[in-house]
Amino acid sequence: MRAVCEEAVAAALAGGASYADARAIVRRSQAISTKNRRVDRVDDIESEGIGVRVLVGGAWGFACDRRLDEAGAHEAAARATSFAKAAPGKHQRALAPIEPVQGEYRTPRDEDPVDVPLGDKIALCLAAEEGMQHPDVKVTSAFVRAMRESKVLVSSEGTAVEQDLVECGGGIDAMASDGEISQLRSYPSAHGGSSAGSGWEYVLGLELEREAPRVGEQAAALLRAPVCPPATTTAVIDSEQMVLQVHESIGHPTELDRVYGTEAAYAGTSFLKPGDLGSLRYGSDRMNITADPTTARGLGTFGYDDEGVPAAPTPVVEAGILTGFLTSRETAAQIGNGGGGSMRADGWSRMPLVRMTNLHLEPGEGTLDDLLADVDVGVYFETNKSWSIDDKRLNFQFGTQVAWEIKNGKRGRMLRDATYTGVTPIFWGSLDAVAGPGSWVLYGLTNCGKGQPGQHAHVSHGAAPGRFRNVQVGVAPS
Amino acid sequence: MTRALEVAEQAVAAADGDGVEAVVQAERSGFARFAGSEVHQPTLIENTSVFLRVIRGRRAGAAAGNRVDDDGLRELAVRAGEAADASPEDPNLPDLAAASPLPDVDGNDEETEALGPADQAQLAAEGIAAAGDMPIYGFFTSGAATVAVVTSAGFSGEQTSTDAGMLALAATDGASGYAEQTAWAVREVDPATVARNAVEIAGRTANAEELRPGSYRAVLAPYAIGELLQYFAYDAFSGLALLEERSYLAGRLGERRFDEKVSIADDALDPRGLPKQFDFEGVPKRRVPLVENGVLRGAVWDLASAARAGDSQESTGNAAPPVERRWGPLPFALSLAGGEAESVDELVGLVGDGIYITRVHYLGIVEPRQGILTGMTRDGTFRIRDGRLAEPLVNLRFTVALPDVLADVPGLTRETTLANEAAFYDERFAYGALVPSIATARFDVTGVGGPPGI
Repeated sequence: MRAVCEEAVAAALAGGASYADARAIVRRSQAISTKNRRVDRVDDIESEGIGVRVLVGGAWGFACDRRLDEAGAHEAAARATSFAKAAPGKHQRALAPIEPVQGEYRTPRDEDPVDVPLGDKIALCLAAEEGMQHPDVKVTSAFVRAMRESKVLVSSEGTAVEQDLVECGGGIDAMASDGEISQLRSYPSAHGGSSAGSGWEYVLGLELEREAPRVGEQAAALLRAPVCPPATTTAVIDSEQMVLQVHESIGHPTELDRVYGTEAAYAGTSFLKPGDLGSLRYGSDRMNITADPTTARGLGTFGYDDEGVPAAPTPVVEAGILTGFLTSRETAAQIGNGGGGSMRADGWSRMPLVRMTNLHLEPGEGTLDDLLADVDVGVYFETNKSWSIDDKRLNFQFGTQVAWEIKNGKRGRMLRDATYTGVTPIFWGSLDAVAGPGSWVLYGLTNCGKGQPGQHAHVSHGAAPGRFRNVQVGVAPS
Repeated sequence: MTRALEVAEQAVAAADGDGVEAVVQAERSGFARFAGSEVHQPTLIENTSVFLRVIRGRRAGAAAGNRVDDDGLRELAVRAGEAADASPEDPNLPDLAAASPLPDVDGNDEETEALGPADQAQLAAEGIAAAGDMPIYGFFTSGAATVAVVTSAGFSGEQTSTDAGMLALAATDGASGYAEQTAWAVREVDPATVARNAVEIAGRTANAEELRPGSYRAVLAPYAIGELLQYFAYDAFSGLALLEERSYLAGRLGERRFDEKVSIADDALDPRGLPKQFDFEGVPKRRVPLVENGVLRGAVWDLASAARAGDSQESTGNAAPPVERRWGPLPFALSLAGGEAESVDELVGLVGDGIYITRVHYLGIVEPRQGILTGMTRDGTFRIRDGRLAEPLVNLRFTVALPDVLADVPGLTRETTLANEAAFYDERFAYGALVPSIATARFDVTGVGGPPGI
């Protein structure tokens, strides 16, 4: 693969490129799911190819080819350079300088998740489904996934890195219905479970079978739970919902390409401006956010990003103040700060974009019970159900699968159809406590969309439960 | 491009099973994506992928890959066979699609298929130039996507669909407008017109005012109602969701729930849309009535969900692309019938006092069973006063039950527009909703966001 990348880079330079990089990828992914105790999906997908990115006269070009051979390399390079020449810009696109690197990285693993027999994966799903059975539960499903990706990056500046990455994950869902309403309960996370950059030991550690009875029972109980009433009150948010709150209201707005408007037409922009760095108050002084592509088991963990920048942690918010952006080499050059490190592409057929790596809300102290103890009246939100946020990442509304009334410092009755809404800096400004390291959980999600054509990124977030005061809680519509 | 049908036939021949289904998707496409009136992410894609499903007895498994030489297909067949062997028996496994007559459809245009990188860059440049001093953000794209399906039960079909689209967000600090055109023939897409329309809307959005949350009468432009309808449809009009009681239609089929002016179909045969001959299982496309004059009529089905439904339920030809198959059947050719209004101004007059929404953003499904969606408006939200468009508004948070939005509809425009609904993840599959502008008596605004613009 390295030789093919070198061919592509050489061909691009010969074609007039001032800079070129080539990524060759072989990715194998498996998705297994069962539904109502029958196999729903057994997919085993392999995809390979090369993507070539060039700068010609200061303009970008990108083309790809599924053939991992000399012909594919040359053709992709030629088409990328011709596209760059056809669409010249008004500005020279510059890259922040980096030291060329030669290196390798391998995801630590005990057991390669792709090598685990498909039959074992199906059996795990079917066993997990058994525990969710309940008269009111109409649909149960269980799912696991595994991925292995071999990736080589070669650039015209002398970078050449090889990475061997694995991921896996799983989850369970129970949907209860009484004919009038339906309610969903999931574990460990909604929308496809949770994944990690790890061997199969991560999936086994989720203990889906052990959690299944609780998931089924709670789905059924939600049918009889009252609707969460509207109020301006204290909200305590569990780790799982908190990671999505971090993802949507901190991760995306701190992507510097959004700040500069290059995602305006699709994913949107950001309420942040380049000049906010170092001065904007994002939230309360309890708020500390770190982007860390070195986090153990993170989906955004790598040795080098897709521009060959070595992985390193970056503070993004410190004691409530914005102190960092997620950058590429191009956006780092624009802002005159840093050297990139957050560029990732969805496979070989897409151009790298600024993406989250692993973005965490750093833990505070105490436990969830400690957070609840200081609440006279409030709502505890658990497990995301719906999400929506505006194009600048200011106004958001989240719904959770389940909520619990908080009264006199204790968790009370179950509530359904709970939502909360807010405006990003006001909401984070109302954060008055984050639970400690013992409550901090790392979740991995695989459905982060961005770019045109669309790209999915796999990212992780760690968070502990947090407490927010004066939050608008309640179910719409009026 | 590799001949997709030939690859599909070779894949079926390489497999060892009691039943075999091969789906080949071949793509050649280009995106000239621009921001601040400069192309910044130009992407050329060329790929051929094969999805192979093998059935052994009552066991089924699938594998996919993009190595289409003999060795690649042989290895793919082995992996698909291993997946089948690993699966428990499924007593309800549906039969594979058999040979059947296919409808004649449009949807392929030689000129569009022939567009290369220089053409795509030139068409984007025409839009950028037409925007003048107003920065625009978006893309011009065109592509040819071939789908070939071959089954051991006798189906063998191949269709190459073309599509072209221009999308433009014209935006400055505090002002923005949006427009798009999508068609299967590039001659129907005029990048300059799209850009000028976006600029014209943007020019009316500066100094946007806030709006008190509440229930308003509203006019929804095609981009807005198209996206709302598409999100609602994922659950509401899915046969699988109907069986699983998460569809709005569950228990309500045959009831009049919408205004009698509302008729909705899934119609992949309509030449005004992005026509398709057959679905990803090889079942011929047909027009599927979903709502007729406000009465809930039915859902869309694929082979698996139809078999599960029993009662002679047939597939309606709505099997999703292999990568989306887990979601069950999906309506990818929604069509909301036009009404009698001759213009958007006429709808605005019917609303009298309310709001006008050009486009919505980041929809979330709050509650599928009741059809509740939330999202934000953007790039052209206006107050309607005294039957006329009035001051611009900031982006609005809405949380609406779409059945409520469609329950009282003062009018729809006669003219319909193809609103692009594809974000082009995975293998290229262009689709859209053919929709008019619509007036509604109820649209629930539940919060306010920032001003338009970037």
